[in-house]
Amino acid sequence: MISGLKGLLTTLRWLGKKPVTAQYPNQHLPVQHRYMGFPALLWDETGDEPFCTGCMVCVRECPTQCMTAIMHDNPNFTEGLSHRRKIIETFEINLNRCILCGICVDVCAFDAIEMSHEHELASFERAGARADLGLLLQQGRRYMKEESWEPASPGRNVAGIVLEARAKTAAAKAAAEVAAESKSGDAPANVKPQEPNLDEKTPLEGSES
Amino acid sequence: MTTEQQFETVDMMLNMGPQHPATHGVFRMVLTLDGERVVDVRPHIGYLHRGSERLCETESYGQVITLFDRLDYVANINNELAFVRSAERLMDIEVPERAMYIRVILAELNRIASHLLFIGTYAIDLGAMTPIMYCFRERERIQNLFEHVTGARMMHNYLRIGGVKEDVPSDFVARVRHLLSEVREGVEESDKLLTFNEVFLSRTQGVGVIDAATAISCGLTGPSLRGSGVPYDVRKDDPYEIYPYLTFKIPTGENGDCWDRYYLRVLECYESLSMIEQCLDQLEDGLIMAAGRRIARPPAGEVYVHSENPRGDIGVFLVSDGSDKPYRVKVRPPSFCNLVALRPMMKGAYVADAVAILGSLDIVLGEVDR
Amino acid sequence: MNVTLGEVINIAIALFVLFNLVTLVAITLVWLERKLLGRLQGRPGPTRVGPFGLLQPIADALKLLAKEDISPGSSQKVLFFVAPLLVFVPSFVIWLTFPVAENLVVRNLGLGLFFFVAFSVLSIVGLVLAGWSSNSKYAILGGFRAAAQLVSYEIPIIMSILVVAMLAGTLDFVEVVEAQEAVPYIAMVPLAFVIFLIAGLAEVGRTPFDIYFAESEVVGGPFVEYSGAHWAIFFLAEYVNTFVVGLLGALLFLGGWMWPFGPDLPTPAAAGLVLVKAYFLTVIIFWVRATYPRMRIDQLMSFGWKWLIPLSFAVFVAAACQLFYKWNPWTLTIISFVIMAVPVVIQIRRQRNPALALAARYAANAIVVQARPKPAVAAAMESESATTDAAPEGAGA
Repeated sequence: MISGLKGLLTTLRWLGKKPVTAQYPNQHLPVQHRYMGFPALLWDETGDEPFCTGCMVCVRECPTQCMTAIMHDNPNFTEGLSHRRKIIETFEINLNRCILCGICVDVCAFDAIEMSHEHELASFERAGARADLGLLLQQGRRYMKEESWEPASPGRNVAGIVLEARAKTAAAKAAAEVAAESKSGDAPANVKPQEPNLDEKTPLEGSES
Repeated sequence: MTTEQQFETVDMMLNMGPQHPATHGVFRMVLTLDGERVVDVRPHIGYLHRGSERLCETESYGQVITLFDRLDYVANINNELAFVRSAERLMDIEVPERAMYIRVILAELNRIASHLLFIGTYAIDLGAMTPIMYCFRERERIQNLFEHVTGARMMHNYLRIGGVKEDVPSDFVARVRHLLSEVREGVEESDKLLTFNEVFLSRTQGVGVIDAATAISCGLTGPSLRGSGVPYDVRKDDPYEIYPYLTFKIPTGENGDCWDRYYLRVLECYESLSMIEQCLDQLEDGLIMAAGRRIARPPAGEVYVHSENPRGDIGVFLVSDGSDKPYRVKVRPPSFCNLVALRPMMKGAYVADAVAILGSLDIVLGEVDR
Repeated sequence: MNVTLGEVINIAIALFVLFNLVTLVAITLVWLERKLLGRLQGRPGPTRVGPFGLLQPIADALKLLAKEDISPGSSQKVLFFVAPLLVFVPSFVIWLTFPVAENLVVRNLGLGLFFFVAFSVLSIVGLVLAGWSSNSKYAILGGFRAAAQLVSYEIPIIMSILVVAMLAGTLDFVEVVEAQEAVPYIAMVPLAFVIFLIAGLAEVGRTPFDIYFAESEVVGGPFVEYSGAHWAIFFLAEYVNTFVVGLLGALLFLGGWMWPFGPDLPTPAAAGLVLVKAYFLTVIIFWVRATYPRMRIDQLMSFGWKWLIPLSFAVFVAAACQLFYKWNPWTLTIISFVIMAVPVVIQIRRQRNPALALAARYAANAIVVQARPKPAVAAAMESESATTDAAPEGAGA
């Protein structure tokens, strides 16, 4: 009897308390900062292109094989606006297969993919769960803005920083050679061209940062 | 005497089919009834078989962790811990201490969440519809913390071979301390509502009794075994991670009935709370990942590592052939082995007790069927 | 006797109004239960359909009526169709004699209490038929359980009603209420009220006595094969019966419209007072539903036969003695509390105290695993005491 009556009092006390329910969709509970929603591709403003080069590491490492990607030559590279030789052409994630594990983010070397905070992606179409590059970039931009996203390795991945660093080393090298040449009096041997030559191998910048 | 000779009764087969509100998942029990009493029970499993162990053979070690999350989908960190420990044993990796403390804190929080789910679902199996709401409210708090730390409420994919994925946020200790006080109140509330309730006592005491010898021979582990008086707990008998540095109690029962199994889990919630407090006090700065290769390539060999899941003794038998994918992963799921004890428990019980007994075993079909 | 056409028309109108009002009451009860259960559990309850979810029962009713009418192929079609009616009709017929105010009654019979008891038993037949005609194991199990439970708990209800009838000296509802002008019978025989409430819970099939259609076991019991409109009828009958228990409690034990304001209340206020008391008791019934687990069928039966029936006989004998020996009416209250204390004390000593002791034993006898000192601390201790330490710590595996 006693415990039953105590139980009755326990439930009665809840009448005075406010319900803990957040009534969706009027009230959306915010997700935490680290929340892993669906993946999204990120946009490099300085190069006006995605970070993603289509290297397919995430595609290979995905446990459910939910992504497909195709890369192509980067037109920005030939124009000297970016350090990425290849850039992503098509990228598709089958959101029905994605298990939101975050492995793609862990293995990406280019800070190109992040788990966005998207989790309300129900659609009315049968093929509505296929997210293409446009949608992924759009969600990526939203994520970058909302979370004030900073790349993990800017010295290696952000086009503007990389190109600036390369230009600086090139200028420093040219200046050093000019100085050496003026000292020794020899004709300049190999003047490094300002624009990167596709035939030459340029070392990967940013390895020091 | 003469009435028994005159009446020939036929035992009735009652199918508590895969779709049943009280079978905790897709589990089928075929009961043979003599009136209201159960004469025999035949469990049918396999409705949730997803081929996890076969998938492990074609996935790299990092991907296998996601599979282990989904085995016992209520105690994810404990499963991940079982697997990464087996890989670490094979690769002879020493995990930094801070990583171990973080793992144990999250594992014990997961234990509390799992036991809260047990209390809630057990109560509603028996007809009390309120404790489940209170318990899930507390689970929400714990899952919010998990989301804050690991990024996901349930399928965390947070533990890595050699440590954890990333360090905990800066407000981790403060948030966990606050959470502990809230969860303690919640557990006490459900405790007050249910544990000594007259109807609950009548429904669970003396029901589904299993003695220690039968329990051990059935391979029962976890709180169900401790309810029969056998003080076996992997954290005590084969300690791992930083459990040797914690002081905790292993409650054991005497009667081996449903009430013992239920109450031991409530007591374990309190024990886990105290363990987490000790971990928070002992937590120091340090590395969260052992130095080593990013791609796990254990040397050829095999290893069996077991740890204490909220449901019992989970074992992982890992066979490696030197490549970056396991050759074979065999899981010893506690719920699967606990189900063997269902038969001795159900002998002579009423049909209504069948639900109470199955609930008290606390099985999760994800790890029974894998 | 001759019945004029005017009388017939009056009665027809009264019945129609009664039917609608009772249905309306049942609908409000559906809303009240869901809202109350939600709030007790920390949820808001229905909020979407109409303001505060007030139109939720209408939505439920429409949904149920629009469903396809399925019956199992091997069921007895005629009985299958008739069973819900057999459950539903008595629930409404008994309202004929219930007074909501002194002159708000369809037909006040001199044998009102007896009429109620006689007709409420009819629904048991309906339940058993429902289980039988469904031709499904779960339904049959549920039907048998329902029959056993309901028949057993009729006795305590009848006994507690008889106690009231004895004290009032009449079987007429209106006179019973008028007899409570000074003191309601709950104060005079609280034990009879408690018995009535518990047995009423069992009669209606509410937790902790809802085993026969328990969702987690027989998944609906005798109702398992019914869908759509048939299920709606069972549903409605259950809520009407719940309110009947509340209304009877209000009339027989809480003083109806007489207490505490006396007989001079205007009719609407009197009706309102009765309804408030009835709703109050119904809320208590819902509150009990939210808190208690359900009893097993054999525990339920043994509780009914071994506890409730002897107690009801005890209070019956006590009331008879009080009337015969012309004791002070308040002796009945004291006797009631004494008798009520007996099962409480027995339960505490036989069940609660051993359980508390057991729990304390488990907590106290828990094996303590002591912490080992960490390597740095151990090394410091080692250098202090110059003794070799034990095996290296099992860090990492």
